[in-house]
Amino acid sequence: MSGVVEVGLGRRTRRGLAVWAWAVFAFLYVPIVVLVVFSFNASSRVNIWGGFSFQWYGEALRNDVITSAIRVSLIVALVSTVVSMVLGTAAALALDRYRFRGRRALDGTVYLPIVIPDITMAVMLLVFFAEAFKFIDSFGPRFTLGISTVALSHIAFNISFVCVVVRARLDQFDRTLEEAARDLYATGWQTFRRVTLPLIMPGVAAGGLLALTLSLDDVVISAFVSGPGSTTLPVYVFSSIRRGVTPELNAISTLMLTASIALVLGSLALQRRRASASQQTQIL
Amino acid sequence: MTEAVAAVEIEGVTKRFGEVVAVDNVDLAIGDGEFFALLGPSGCGKTTTLRMIAGLDLPTEGSLRIFGEEVGMAPPDRRPVNTVFQAYALFPHMTVRQNIEFGLRMRRVKNPELSQRVAEATGMVRLAGMEERRPDQLSGGQQQRVALARALVNQPKVLLLDEPLGALDLKLRQEMQQELKALQREVGITFVFVTHDQEEALAMSERIGVMSEGRLLQVGTPREIYDRPASRFVADFIGRTNILEASVESASTVRLDNGALIEAETSTPAGSRVAVSLRPERVRLQPHGTTAAEGSSLDGEVRDITYLGHAVVYEVAAGPVSIEVRVEGEVGEPFAAGDEVTVAWDRGAAAVVAD
Repeated sequence: MSGVVEVGLGRRTRRGLAVWAWAVFAFLYVPIVVLVVFSFNASSRVNIWGGFSFQWYGEALRNDVITSAIRVSLIVALVSTVVSMVLGTAAALALDRYRFRGRRALDGTVYLPIVIPDITMAVMLLVFFAEAFKFIDSFGPRFTLGISTVALSHIAFNISFVCVVVRARLDQFDRTLEEAARDLYATGWQTFRRVTLPLIMPGVAAGGLLALTLSLDDVVISAFVSGPGSTTLPVYVFSSIRRGVTPELNAISTLMLTASIALVLGSLALQRRRASASQQTQIL
Repeated sequence: MTEAVAAVEIEGVTKRFGEVVAVDNVDLAIGDGEFFALLGPSGCGKTTTLRMIAGLDLPTEGSLRIFGEEVGMAPPDRRPVNTVFQAYALFPHMTVRQNIEFGLRMRRVKNPELSQRVAEATGMVRLAGMEERRPDQLSGGQQQRVALARALVNQPKVLLLDEPLGALDLKLRQEMQQELKALQREVGITFVFVTHDQEEALAMSERIGVMSEGRLLQVGTPREIYDRPASRFVADFIGRTNILEASVESASTVRLDNGALIEAETSTPAGSRVAVSLRPERVRLQPHGTTAAEGSSLDGEVRDITYLGHAVVYEVAAGPVSIEVRVEGEVGEPFAAGDEVTVAWDRGAAAVVAD
């Protein structure tokens, strides 16, 4: 850069900005580092370092309430992800390709769960379930809040996220590829199976990972619609924090953090592949 | 062609998209083994016509037969035709081989035959050794060949090509023109291709159908289309031409609007308004006052001279009309701007076109 006249900020200003940037960074990440460090604390006092240990991870995994919560969380996350991947992709395809009555209204409202506050969604779902149970109960069977209502609620918001991600992918999709497949004797289903789906798959998978993360993270909605025995891990953490922070909670939180980071990185990797794939289609 | 069954026979076909008439009552027969071009400006309905033959669009009215069999409403997978798409539409997630195999696999062709036919097609378009590459690893010309192989491997009775050379640069385009012609002779099937490039249509096809605003204006050999355009639009669209307003005097003479009487064959009744198309390269410049032994001439004054390297274009004002004269292969410029000249042409160079 020698010989180039530096225009703009002076040296001091630049140094000041660098310090500021580090301060913001610290503000965001120091609490996380503290959490992770203290999850390996051998002492039972949360704020006093007593040496390195995996003790609290062991305790947490031996606690039946916690393992049950983890199991519920995983079941809900997997079921809601798979179902919302299928339904969200179908919705994205329908909105992208077909002109039908109510399409505009649906197009506007499918994103609603993304923007409305969790607490509103939670109350809404609870009221809905109460009314639905009243109706179903009048035919005989009895339903109560439980793991299935948690899963249904997660499906309800996850569909929107999958739908958004898949539609972004469909926007760049070249429909002449489908015509080419039809011209080469593929039926409608074969065209979807062999051409459309493989090409939008990165979008579907990225949407699925997003759904998985959101489901594992959710507290508010799950707390409202879960019943006895269907407590998810975040709900358990939230309720036990009222009895004070324990090293056990640090350990669980670190586990959840690790899982979330892994999922986000996976999602980013897929999106990147998606981006380079779309560059390829542009070259074509 | 009247005796044998036509490869493609279109009868009274109309295609409407809502209120818009894309193709308007078109009748056309394309012979077996013919290299046929559908030519016209963008939006003239040529691509829609091609898509209807492929089955990607269905006609609103009319009948469409391929080798005598009515296919107007049949889906694309029930027609013995394949298409080379404008931007090739190669499947980006498949290798060259998988792209070429696609049609055969859809029709459940099994392996000894499958790999043999793929190898044949790959060899025919000189792509051997590239089977495992992906489309984005190929040049434009190679992608074009994959698209050709992917269509031809199915042994269609008619191959449809939508602006097949449009995405290639000029030099490659001229090469591919020759290759496509050779390929067509080799496989011996009917090629129907759509283009907006009149030079490409003239150079490649045996017959051309000129379309404008959904109508098929004229069908003929390149020579017929160029020398005897049926309408003002065709004359103007194919190559460059001088259009002179005139009225018919007799079966062999017309009077131009500037008063000059010229020789031109016409079947239009005397008194009707017509236009005369005069190709710039079929007329010549002579010193003022010299008349030709045969043919016709007009007196005028050189207004402007454009040097093109291989040709010189003179713009001559003859009364109210302006005539472009293109002189090739002449050393120097015998005339300068402002010179009085005579524009002359042989009998038969002027074509009378209906309005």
